[in-house]
Amino acid sequence: MFFKQVRRNSAKNRKGNGLFFGTLIIAIVAFYTLLSLGEQDVMRFLATIESDAVHKLLALLPAVYLVSLFFVFFLVYFACSYQTQRRQRELGMYLMLGMKRSRMFTLLFCETLWSSLVALFMGIFAALFLTEGISLATAKLVGLGIVGHRISFSLKAVFWTACGFVLVQLLSMFIICLKLGKKEPAEFLRPGAPEKQRQLTEGRSLLFFISGTGLLLAAYGLGIFRLRTLHFFVFLAVLVCGIAGTFLFYRGLGGFLGKVVRRKRSKAAGLSVFTARQIQEHVFSQHKSLAVSALLLLMAFSCIAYGAAMGLARTVSVRSADFSLFGEEPQIDRVLKQDGIRRLVKESYPMYLSMVKDEYFAGEKEALDLSGLGQALESIEDTENIVQNMHIEYVIAESSYNELLKAMGKEGIQLHGQEVALYTSMAGEGDFGTILKKAVEKKVSVGIRGKDYALLPALYYDNVVADRAITLSMALIVPDALFGELAREPEAYCRNVRLRDDVTQEPGLMQAVQKMDEKLAKTGIEYDSFLGGIGRNLFYTVSASYLTIYLGVLFLLISNTVLGLKFLIQHRQNKCRYRTLSMLGADTEAMCRSAKKQIQVFFLLVLTVASVSGAAAVVTMFTSFAKLPVGTSMWTAGLLAATAFVIFVIIELVYIGIVRRTAQREICSSIIIQ
Amino acid sequence: MTGSERILQIENLTKIYGKGESRTEALKGITFDVLKGEFLGIMGASGSGKTTLLNCIATMHRPTGGNIILNGEDISGFGGSALADYRGRKIGYLFQEFELLDNLTAEENIMLPLSLHGVTVKEAESDIRAISALLDISEVLDKFPSQMSGGQKQRVAAARALISNPDIVLADEPTGALDSKNSKILMDKLADVNRRQQKTIMMVTHDANAASYCSRILFIQDGCLFHELRRSMQTESVSAFYERIVSVMAQLGGGSANVL
Repeated sequence: MFFKQVRRNSAKNRKGNGLFFGTLIIAIVAFYTLLSLGEQDVMRFLATIESDAVHKLLALLPAVYLVSLFFVFFLVYFACSYQTQRRQRELGMYLMLGMKRSRMFTLLFCETLWSSLVALFMGIFAALFLTEGISLATAKLVGLGIVGHRISFSLKAVFWTACGFVLVQLLSMFIICLKLGKKEPAEFLRPGAPEKQRQLTEGRSLLFFISGTGLLLAAYGLGIFRLRTLHFFVFLAVLVCGIAGTFLFYRGLGGFLGKVVRRKRSKAAGLSVFTARQIQEHVFSQHKSLAVSALLLLMAFSCIAYGAAMGLARTVSVRSADFSLFGEEPQIDRVLKQDGIRRLVKESYPMYLSMVKDEYFAGEKEALDLSGLGQALESIEDTENIVQNMHIEYVIAESSYNELLKAMGKEGIQLHGQEVALYTSMAGEGDFGTILKKAVEKKVSVGIRGKDYALLPALYYDNVVADRAITLSMALIVPDALFGELAREPEAYCRNVRLRDDVTQEPGLMQAVQKMDEKLAKTGIEYDSFLGGIGRNLFYTVSASYLTIYLGVLFLLISNTVLGLKFLIQHRQNKCRYRTLSMLGADTEAMCRSAKKQIQVFFLLVLTVASVSGAAAVVTMFTSFAKLPVGTSMWTAGLLAATAFVIFVIIELVYIGIVRRTAQREICSSIIIQ
Repeated sequence: MTGSERILQIENLTKIYGKGESRTEALKGITFDVLKGEFLGIMGASGSGKTTLLNCIATMHRPTGGNIILNGEDISGFGGSALADYRGRKIGYLFQEFELLDNLTAEENIMLPLSLHGVTVKEAESDIRAISALLDISEVLDKFPSQMSGGQKQRVAAARALISNPDIVLADEPTGALDSKNSKILMDKLADVNRRQQKTIMMVTHDANAASYCSRILFIQDGCLFHELRRSMQTESVSAFYERIVSVMAQLGGGSANVL
């Protein structure tokens, strides 16, 4: 009987509070995803290349887990109090019918436990799908085709997810039961009296409102213009001003809204005064929740914008050489002729790349005269930094670069007479590539040993070696003969190897590269692989973006759920008002419209402040302490932040929709005619 | 009471709650008329059906059978906007627990029925001033309910019930949550409104004191009309009528022990 009741009540709770239950499942998915990170394909693969960094990242996970639990606790606590508030009369009846308090609390605990288990079952099931999807998607994102994918299931992650959730739920319920323990049955049975309209004097309200706005503006200003000094006190000032400003702003907002209502009510008709007063009351009584939600949303916004910028900036899709082998020609030949290796290799070619001889940099006048290029760059805006730091120390032989292009299926370069081409491996870094491209298109020339060589009006940027960690800011692609004259080391720098297409397509590129990697490792030859570069990129993608996006999503969910629940709690306390309104002649539709407006404005009040703060935070972040990752322009970051914002708005709309439906259901239930 | 124009007709009204074994007949075919300008009291023991009767007229409950005709219109067929219009304009409802919206000032509360029908404060300003002066609540117009006394709250609620100039004011135990002093003030004010504005009032009450302000009282028992008392407004004082009410209550076997 007891367990039947537990099951039935918990099912009723889940049905009546779908918003919370859905959020709980999403949080479980996020927890499992985080905790099973070490078991996921991508991480297992990375651990073979960057084991130290991966271990450091995995060591950080417990801390992230605890921080998440801390925030999830508030979510669960509010949801549980909303749930028990809905059932106050029922609980009062239990007591009046002779149920012991201890039994009632056991009932509540068992219901919570049962709901947790159901949520865990559904959440972990969904999480398994998601983690598999993430493995495949991340690999796809960085240009790897994983076909030989292995399904992973982490028992440890399930264990810790379950422990964390059950603990948080039981702790919340325990605190709620402590509060309920002090209540008399009559307090349970009497419908919750709505909170009294607290009136701050207009002067105080205005003072709070103005000082809050002022502090917020100060925080934005300090952040954008002063935080780049990275001074501790500036950082502290931004933090204090931002947090205090948000709290004071919402504290004074109620009074401000009251003033607006008073001014506009003489012309108001319908339920507009009621709606405005409801909003004002929500702001008065929930000003702390509004401030916390706005700050959480700001954190979510910043995390997601940062994570997405980090993640997408690292993605690499173009593959030039799969391996670069270093060493003496005969040794390389020997290795490539080995049975297991020869079968995997499509082609190999030497890469002639060298520093320019020292003599060209001695003396008063540089042998390489880049003044033409410099002038072309100067004519483009915002290039002072590039012009000042412009120097070319490397040359690449035309033939080997053409081999590289051919291997990639691209057309080769044709250098006629006195022509050279400009190369950079950092074309994707911010606007660098675009600026260089604009400069060479101006038909400029460089002087080499007193002779003018025309630069081809195109920029070349395909990686000359397999490992992307080796970068050349600028180099000249020169005819082979000229290379012989200029190069300090005229021999081949390395031998580039490209794997056979059927090998890379059949088991997947990652596995093919791994296979070759194993074979090369046995030969003792020095080599770099596409894998190494990819691995490093992948690691940054995963560690920087994954964790920040994870936290961002969690903050977003918590913020919205807390906001939604807080609204619904108060809405429930005041639902008798709708009955009165109905008696005074308000139709149901008008009341539902009023509730909808209240919810929209309630959420919008948070979203607006969070968006403004978020925009300031993103600008601050990317112009000061969190340098944009190499390869990301401010525009990309801005675009990503805008995308994140759109996603935010969509999620907000979903939440508003759910809260609206619940609120309207309550209105209809309170005015139903028998 | 003046004239003999029928403002409300209740014809064979029945209300049944529940089905099968839990079926309860709250009203068993009640028929009576309310005349324009009348101050009608409904009295009866707990569970006699008096509040059900009032709630049916107020459209809070849908009657099982019979007709409720207000100014010649049968309200049982009302729905949607007609129902909202009926609630907002044709009737004024005075609740036992005032039911003021806590987050609105007295003025905003009073304005609600008008606002709901598109009237602005500007347009209704003079009406608000007049009704607040009549009910002695002018000084609390800018206050929230939490800043008022119980008596003030009920008078604000009365102003809200009267502001839209309804055909009839329905009052459900309006003195139920007030002390004797505030009850007297409220009843004096309601009687004043009834007398001066010829406003028809129908009041459900347990309180013989409050009922003594009425011009006619209907006694209900077990869902049926049981007895009727009329006060001669010209010759009979409130206290004399009170004596008659108390004696009828005693004769009916209700008594205060049964009624309260």
